[in-house]
Amino acid sequence: MICPLANFEEVYKTAHGAVYQCSRQNCYWLEFAGSTTAFKVGDFLDFKKKIDAIDISAMIIDSSRTADFTIVMPFRTPRCFVLTINDVLNLRELLDGAKFMITLNSMVQACMKGTPSRVA
Amino acid sequence: MKDLLRLKTSLNEEIENILNAQIKVEAHSSSVYLAMSSWCDDQGYDYSADFFSKQSEEERKHMMKLFNYVNDRGGKAISPEIVNIPADFESFRGVFEQMLEQEMYVTEQFNNIADKCIKLKDFVTFQFVQWFLEEQIEEEYVARRILEMFDVIGEDGTGRWEIDKHVPKVSYEG
Repeated sequence: MICPLANFEEVYKTAHGAVYQCSRQNCYWLEFAGSTTAFKVGDFLDFKKKIDAIDISAMIIDSSRTADFTIVMPFRTPRCFVLTINDVLNLRELLDGAKFMITLNSMVQACMKGTPSRVA
Repeated sequence: MKDLLRLKTSLNEEIENILNAQIKVEAHSSSVYLAMSSWCDDQGYDYSADFFSKQSEEERKHMMKLFNYVNDRGGKAISPEIVNIPADFESFRGVFEQMLEQEMYVTEQFNNIADKCIKLKDFVTFQFVQWFLEEQIEEEYVARRILEMFDVIGEDGTGRWEIDKHVPKVSYEG
């Protein structure tokens, strides 16, 4: 459950989950597969890199039962993600969209402040 | 919406990635030069062994300069994994040829970083990289000058002994 004190705004949402930003605690909340997890900014970006690095092809090719799932345990969260191939693809879609919106927000803010954007 | 990304880091992700890649290149150079130092020592080229040992230390300093910069700008510097360091080399001359190739490769990488900085308008990192580009003039000059000694002095007789003795004396005045 998202902290009731959190001042959160929706960053990106798909049919499988959502990412919210809490501007009070400067963190992101990931809502996925029925539960929510808070990430500091750096941890969120690291988590996305970990999900992007999962070798889907290897999971598909490998016929052993253990290859049907992959486990991701991000540091500093109580959550353990047990992901099927579908879950990985859904999570990637969600995180890609969220990352895009976060970057876009950064660009818009930079334009509004009249400073050169740090993001190309 | 509050810009959390900007609060976290001043480095563009692409710049952070390319700088982390360069940290790995510098760490690799440092390890290769240490291997060259060991080989030279084993072959009896004492002055060159000392020269490569110092080069190795210098490359590590370069690595740390990049490493600290990434962290200081809010990025995440990654301690690199270094593999495939050779333990044996073809010849005394070959070692210096490899050194020159390594330095030319490093220069090319810094050129790419500078190019990326301009494209992404990251002039702070561009300014930071200038120091390395200037340093590369010296690195390439020294390697090339030493290689020229192989032709000027010659390797026959006591030639290699003479070359080894002159290796630490090669310097770039700028």
